[in-house]
Amino acid sequence: MTNPAFAPLRTSAEVVANECDGETGRRLRLRVSGWPGSEPGQFVMLSPGPQSSVPRTDPLLPRPMAIYRSLPAGDAFEVLYKIVGRGTALLAGAKPGDRLALVGPLGRGFAPPGPNEHALLVGGGTGTASLLEQAARAAASGRATVMLGARTADDLIGVPEFRALDVDLQLATEDGSEGHPGRVTELLAKVLAGRGSPVVYACGPTPMMRAAAELARQHGVPCRVSLENPMACGFGVCLGCAAPLATGGFALVCRDGPVFDACAVDWDQLA
Amino acid sequence: MSVDTSVDLGGIALRNPVLTASGTFGYGTEFAPFLDLTRIGGFVAKSLTLAPRSGNLPTRIHETASGMLNAIGLENVGVEAFVAEKLPQIPSGVPVVASIFGTAPAEYAEVCKRLSGVPQVAGIEINASCPHVKAGGIEFGQNPELLAGLVRECRGATALPLLVKLSPNVTSIAEMARVAEGEGADALALINTLQALEVDVETRRPVLRNVLGGLSGPAILPVALRMVFQASQAVKIPLCGIGGIMSGTDAVKFLLCGATAVQVGTASYLDPAAAGRVAEGLESYCRRHGVAAVRDLVGALELP
Repeated sequence: MTNPAFAPLRTSAEVVANECDGETGRRLRLRVSGWPGSEPGQFVMLSPGPQSSVPRTDPLLPRPMAIYRSLPAGDAFEVLYKIVGRGTALLAGAKPGDRLALVGPLGRGFAPPGPNEHALLVGGGTGTASLLEQAARAAASGRATVMLGARTADDLIGVPEFRALDVDLQLATEDGSEGHPGRVTELLAKVLAGRGSPVVYACGPTPMMRAAAELARQHGVPCRVSLENPMACGFGVCLGCAAPLATGGFALVCRDGPVFDACAVDWDQLA
Repeated sequence: MSVDTSVDLGGIALRNPVLTASGTFGYGTEFAPFLDLTRIGGFVAKSLTLAPRSGNLPTRIHETASGMLNAIGLENVGVEAFVAEKLPQIPSGVPVVASIFGTAPAEYAEVCKRLSGVPQVAGIEINASCPHVKAGGIEFGQNPELLAGLVRECRGATALPLLVKLSPNVTSIAEMARVAEGEGADALALINTLQALEVDVETRRPVLRNVLGGLSGPAILPVALRMVFQASQAVKIPLCGIGGIMSGTDAVKFLLCGATAVQVGTASYLDPAAAGRVAEGLESYCRRHGVAAVRDLVGALELP
């Protein structure tokens, strides 16, 4: 079930801005009349490209996009994305004033961090976008260490906003062009080797989340992951986003997640 | 002008001819935030089996040109939970058609019996054509003798209006339509998804874990229209047209080709209010063209 505090809308969003963010990222700012707000970790379904009078048939399906940050005005928020295919290429062509079909906010986000919790937030690629608001919440109620990874320095997204938070920010790039040379989960391993009993939050490519979950398990600390399975609807009917559970059966990423306890996921069967 | 939108689909009275297709509308409850169900003719619930089913491993869906592939595997809550937990949440006055599935005719018949006499169930749709489960489904829909036996068994198990959903993966849709009519079907629904395959060349693997899936969406609309047209010439019972309907004018095409009603499927994924939009678009087409009753469009295709 979606959080009843933020009843989802089926509406059209006005593009306020749609700009480059870093070398390869894109930042889309949307305004939605009557927007109910959202909790950290929720997402929206966005049409691939602006709406026109004739319904678009190709590409057909909306794209799930994490809500990166809500803006103070209350009716606006941002998403971060990269051009990876036809849908996001069309999205990149949306201009201020264009309208995108939107359904959201959807899904169950992150539970609020516990008092004085030390949150370890691990983001890879565009998965980074799911973590900003949870990092802000954790920094306010306890403390937060944020580890962001990407292939190259150019591929890192959202770094300025994370830097603006009161968090310990660590970066990793696989080619060594920024921060730790290697995988972001190597940073996590170092932090986990220290003292304390933190909580891990991870969002990014499945192998990264799986590695983070395994490290957390070895150190006996809780780990919550935000899964990114492909989905057609976002509200629990296409059943495309089913995630296999460790106890057998499936949960829907859109309805029961996207945030899951890492121990609940059957990582061997997750595509 | 006011348009009479009501139709009779094999004994199911519909306030308008726009239903939603099984497997794309959950159990109706999921759409509560987005669509007033009284705006549409009714809905066909996700296929029910005797016992709950959990479906296929991911990856289950993949977008294709103007469409999508799916191989969900008939995941459903089972007929008992549907009757006890889902139906009571549907507003009264919304006709619910229960889609049913099984691996043997006797199993289908059991589900029919369980649904008969349940007040809100307006009819039953036999899913004889699910192309992505290992046993059942496709065999019934592709073999005239098997289909005849299945419809006969279900007909004997319920007095509710009985729709048979036909597979498009056959040589002659007219023959399958005649078989279902001959065994007492009250109406036919067509088409189900087209059996299909897509490949990832980087990994050299099929995109779906199930290898094969069902193709749906606007890509299949002309195929569906052709099959509705051919079926309408083969049988007298009413037809419910399905396949890539996105708008009111898409629905008009199906009516002109002989369908009495339509089902909106994949479009509900990208717009949860799609079926409501289709119903409004159909009515506005009628106003624009001076059509007094929607049923006047049925089979009104002008042939050269």
